[in-house]
Amino acid sequence: MQKKGKMITDISVMIAGMAGDGILFTGNVLAKILKKQGWEISTYRDFPSNIRGEPTNYTIRASLVKIYGRGDDIDVFMAFDCDAIFKHAKSMTEGGILLCDGEDFVAPLPSKSKAKTYHRFPLRKLAIGNFGKEIFKNMIALGALCYILDLDFHVIEQIISEAFLKRKGKEVVRKNIQAIYLGCEQAEELISPEERHSLKRREDYDRLFLSGDEAIAFGALAAGCRFFAAYPICPATEIWQWLAVYLPQFNGLVVQTEDELAALNMALGASYTGARAMTSTSGPGGSLMMEGFGLAGMAEIPIVVAHVQRAGPSTGMPTKTEQSDLNQWIYGSHGDFPRIVLSPGTVEECFEFTIKAFNLAEKYQCPVILLTEQDYGQGLRSANKFDLSKVKIERGKLLSQEELININDFKRYKLTPDGVSPRALPGMKNGLHMVESNEHNERGYRDEDPENRVRMMQKRMKKLKSASKDLIAPKIWGKRDAEIGIIGFGSTFGPIQEAITQLEKNGIRAKYLQMRTLWPFPSKKVEEFIATCKETFVVENNFSGQMSLLLKSQVRMSFDARNILNYSSQAFRPQEISTQIQKAL
Amino acid sequence: MRKDKDYHLTDPTWCKGCGNYGIFAAFKKAAAALDLKPEQLVVVTGIGCHGRLNNYFNSYGFHALHGRTLPVASGIKLSNPCLSVVGISGDGDAYSIGLGHFIHSLRRNINITYVVADNRVYALTQGQTSPTSEMGYVSVSTPYGSKELNLNGLQLALASGASFIARGFSGNPTQLSSLIEKGMKHKGFALVEVLSPCVIHNKINTYQWFRKNIYDLDDDSNYNPRDKMKAWKKLSNEKKIPVGLIYVEKRPSYEDLVFGKRAEPIVFNDLKVDAPRLEKIMEKFK
Repeated sequence: MQKKGKMITDISVMIAGMAGDGILFTGNVLAKILKKQGWEISTYRDFPSNIRGEPTNYTIRASLVKIYGRGDDIDVFMAFDCDAIFKHAKSMTEGGILLCDGEDFVAPLPSKSKAKTYHRFPLRKLAIGNFGKEIFKNMIALGALCYILDLDFHVIEQIISEAFLKRKGKEVVRKNIQAIYLGCEQAEELISPEERHSLKRREDYDRLFLSGDEAIAFGALAAGCRFFAAYPICPATEIWQWLAVYLPQFNGLVVQTEDELAALNMALGASYTGARAMTSTSGPGGSLMMEGFGLAGMAEIPIVVAHVQRAGPSTGMPTKTEQSDLNQWIYGSHGDFPRIVLSPGTVEECFEFTIKAFNLAEKYQCPVILLTEQDYGQGLRSANKFDLSKVKIERGKLLSQEELININDFKRYKLTPDGVSPRALPGMKNGLHMVESNEHNERGYRDEDPENRVRMMQKRMKKLKSASKDLIAPKIWGKRDAEIGIIGFGSTFGPIQEAITQLEKNGIRAKYLQMRTLWPFPSKKVEEFIATCKETFVVENNFSGQMSLLLKSQVRMSFDARNILNYSSQAFRPQEISTQIQKAL
Repeated sequence: MRKDKDYHLTDPTWCKGCGNYGIFAAFKKAAAALDLKPEQLVVVTGIGCHGRLNNYFNSYGFHALHGRTLPVASGIKLSNPCLSVVGISGDGDAYSIGLGHFIHSLRRNINITYVVADNRVYALTQGQTSPTSEMGYVSVSTPYGSKELNLNGLQLALASGASFIARGFSGNPTQLSSLIEKGMKHKGFALVEVLSPCVIHNKINTYQWFRKNIYDLDDDSNYNPRDKMKAWKKLSNEKKIPVGLIYVEKRPSYEDLVFGKRAEPIVFNDLKVDAPRLEKIMEKFK
């Protein structure tokens, strides 16, 4: 908990229990209330890949300044059972409040915990006793949390109405609100008003509240994506589920395919006809897509793949976060072919980069990967409204029928200075051609002549160089003259920024290079950054330091980068980064 | 009216006597009979000797990855239903590496025609056993004889919800062309399996062998291709192989169900950013 004087400026609330307890719903309602009270929100899901019966927890962090990830500690902890206490009580802040439904057994507070207030809170008994149904324990818990945080009950009632009125009717709304008030009253008996963590109320200015997956889906819609094919997989399915509602309303189509092989190949078929097409996946789905990924490169078909990383390898941990599929999309599939890999760091960037991805795919006629992670893929963030006036649709060398009719001897894979060839679509007159998965000549017909092979290989690979001026450059954050450099990509954006602030408090000045295009690798910009650093740290969520290895292979200078790695399947906490840097210096 | 030669781009270079010649001739004839503009026709092929076809055929062509003919063809058709889309695969493409797509395409019932050239052997890779090779088949991959039961593609198709099943024979391009034409006219997914001998690698299932073992359902005036149980029975007998129109059923296509009366194909969408409409949707994220 961060306080300025007596005022709280940053707070984290954890709700923990078993999968099936309704933790996600409760947490989301709380997050929405906080957002409506003007707080910046970031939620963190730590769920098992299971529907019922395994421990699960959800952290809602609220701050008066913009935040991009989870914080270091927990200030308020609502545990639906004792198990959660042992695991997480050690992360409680001083003065923290902990409520636990231990039924007939109350776990002793672990000696490590700094929590000040610890109470037994019989959620289940209260729910059954007052409403006859265990399910009401959620709302009782929510009521207690609203009391502790001193939230506006008017806002709470409004949000509960929104959640239940249409789907379940007035009676359900009434009962749920009653349960919230019960929770509030019960908490009041245990915790005095002075002990509470009262939060300031502010105006909710014009902000959004969404996940990275949803931001990608909305970005795709805005970018003119009209064909989407995918196979269900955590944690990427939210992209599809959002588009499944909206694409048909925009004359588009979403297809659920039999597997990821079909998903990517179907999207490639659609893109070949001229539709803006996309698929999304994660983990093993990405492995299956490697085959079609190469086809997109070879046949020069624009395609966008959103890959939301989860903890691998193999089935791994489907609902947990990691950054270990970088190698797969940069080096993956057999053979050499051009690809562009983008890595948004925030929910806002998920939207912006998706628009960019569709334009790059068509301009350079190659696959573009949006590489994100479960952390902000499924986690919700309050975000600035997306600026639709900045959305431009660029279709590259796509020919109109009028242009095509005037071309003498159309060649789909014509050799050009920038490597990009004019594109005709099936159905167009004067544009007949072949799209080949085999090596082919300028007309698209199979050709295994070694000289042709060299020409076509160079043509395709040249597109990367042509694209390099058009890519999203890495961004430097923090004081330019700082001598400690941190390099990271994707969801480490938030924790790194906060780690820099923590280091500054200890007199260490650090800056951060946010890698936003991972391939083609922006060597020059990275070299320039490293040259200004006395020490360079690479922060990433994987075992082998994939970014660090990539960096060393792409940067033409000798330097020693130290890795700060986390492969626990959990997102970095800011202190993990700041303390490791401090120790290393 | 267009003629066969309008679809003839170059002379094929398949082995002399290859069953693919019969398919090539029949397909050109069917396209001519339907008077299709070459630019309105997209031929998607898989990997195998059949896959050379769109090097010789005058239309838009897509030579897909091994086994992925149907997903590509489906994506094309769904984005632009104005196009005529024909997928061509071999038995390896359709019944082995692409089998998942085969079953799901049948139940999806997208309006495409799928020609499966079945030579009962992997020819392009020099003669290995295929899923349709008979049990005991001796080849370079099964020198002691195949120990796996051969796959009955058409029975599988019937069980997977096929709305059109026909079988032709490369040795009879006239009938084959009429079956392909019927398939292309059919509203929904049309499967046309072709018994198509490989003269180099399969010395068992030759033209002669097929002629001896096939019989023509079109000659049987009592056969009703709308009777699913009868079709199942006919397909169960692997000693006597029926050719002709085997099964047909009226069932809404996938496009009918997802697009309804929506007239404009996805590809003709104006992609202009509709900011006011998107703003409204963005409000839902609050």
